[in-house]
Amino acid sequence: MVELHNVCIKFHSQKIFDEVNLQVQNGEFVSLVGTTGSGKSSLLRLLYMDLLPTEGIVKVGDYSSTSIKKKEIPYLRRKLGIIFQNFKLLDDRNVFDNIAFALHVTNTSGREIKKKVLNVLASVGLSHKRNSMPNKLSGGEQQRVAIARALVNEPFLLLADEPTGNLDPVSSLEILKLLKDINTQGTAVIMTTHNYDLVRKAQGRIIQIKDEKVFEVQLKTTPAGL
Amino acid sequence: MNIFYTLKEGISGFNRARLSALVSTSTITVALILLGGFSILYLNTNEIVQSFRDRVEMEAFLDKPLSDTTIVSIQKQLASLQGIHSTVFISKEQATKIFKEEFGEDIYSVLEFNPLPPSFKIYLQPNYRNADSAQTIYTSLKSISGIDDIIYRKTLLELLDKRSRLFIIISITIGIILTFTAIFLIFNTIRLTIYAKRNIITIMKLVGATRMFIRLPFLIEGMLQGILGGIFASGIIYLVTYYASQYLGDELAELVKAPFALYIGLTITGIFLGFIGSAFSVRKFISEKIVNQ
Repeated sequence: MVELHNVCIKFHSQKIFDEVNLQVQNGEFVSLVGTTGSGKSSLLRLLYMDLLPTEGIVKVGDYSSTSIKKKEIPYLRRKLGIIFQNFKLLDDRNVFDNIAFALHVTNTSGREIKKKVLNVLASVGLSHKRNSMPNKLSGGEQQRVAIARALVNEPFLLLADEPTGNLDPVSSLEILKLLKDINTQGTAVIMTTHNYDLVRKAQGRIIQIKDEKVFEVQLKTTPAGL
Repeated sequence: MNIFYTLKEGISGFNRARLSALVSTSTITVALILLGGFSILYLNTNEIVQSFRDRVEMEAFLDKPLSDTTIVSIQKQLASLQGIHSTVFISKEQATKIFKEEFGEDIYSVLEFNPLPPSFKIYLQPNYRNADSAQTIYTSLKSISGIDDIIYRKTLLELLDKRSRLFIIISITIGIILTFTAIFLIFNTIRLTIYAKRNIITIMKLVGATRMFIRLPFLIEGMLQGILGGIFASGIIYLVTYYASQYLGDELAELVKAPFALYIGLTITGIFLGFIGSAFSVRKFISEKIVNQ
């Protein structure tokens, strides 16, 4: 589903990745860890093709970095869900419209939009907040809205870039639980984080980025269940 | 693409960011007032200069009483010359009437005979109402047998030509400066407006919006700002010229009259600049990477 073959990235002669190889299968939960600036976000950007490799190949679903055209990138992104630590919600419209926005882009009919948005709001537990404006929500709730928006187009892969970076420990655990639930239903999740406690509780594969390479790592202790 | 949603987004973009929409519309209004004001001055000054040229005529005096056949022959020769719009024959008798109209006195009360020669009044085609063309026509007239003398306001034409050239150079320079200033002002204001909304562009890209889907609402919003700017500028110019013409009196009022086409032109220019300004600005933000935004 996701494959990186000998991927190299250079920014102004500074190397970010050097011959990185990685495979993620359908339905996996992957935690990406590494120090600040190690390239965790860059790896996600490669997957939603905001960044193309200097060398090597990135394959996501049916799309390959070597053959994808600029105008095809939006169609790849419609099959992905992407969330960030700063939520990236639109402050000028309510929760319902923020989620519906992703469906308008795909030219979904008004009736279908209503049905899908209400379903996805129910799945993240925010049906009662559908008319609230984002600035009236807590950080955890805002991230759940962002997750709902990411899920509403039924992606096969959810990319979460530090999803709990702006949240308190309790909200962080709630978001992790939500991501795990989503994963259980078949959507693959790749999450970058600094929070090793969260990684332990995530119970998935752990990939560490270090010295321009990626490494599969195992936790020494058995992770506690959520 | 759902065109109704796109239209709604474009129009509500106005409502959602009222301050920046107001700033953009005001900038377009001011820029169009500058362009419109300049256009009014240019058009009216040009028209006044043209009205001076329109008054320029040549008069070819015949050297002696000629037969009707010869007069018809001369008239035919005149009609065949390039640049001549029309001719009117003035007989000796008609000349006395003109004399009386001009001086209020009968020629026969001054002299016992009529010394006024018959002549042709020659009207030039609009493109030939300049010193060079008039001189060429003058030379051709001189060669026609039966014509004794030709008079026209050579000095006035030379002065008009000289001043017109200067006027055109100054007008083009000011016009270019004003146009570029207007474009610069409008483009930068629209760019700032769109910069304030770059978050929405990022989110559109994240959820898989095509470039056209992202661009259209901004283009609609830009055109709306242009229409409003054009209407406001037209309204202000109309009011200013209306009151100015009442205050200035008939002759100077000619300088501030604005044709209806100018208002249409200003509104179309506003729409065009709003559209192009938005297209350029949004293009820049669409091309940027998501993470940099």
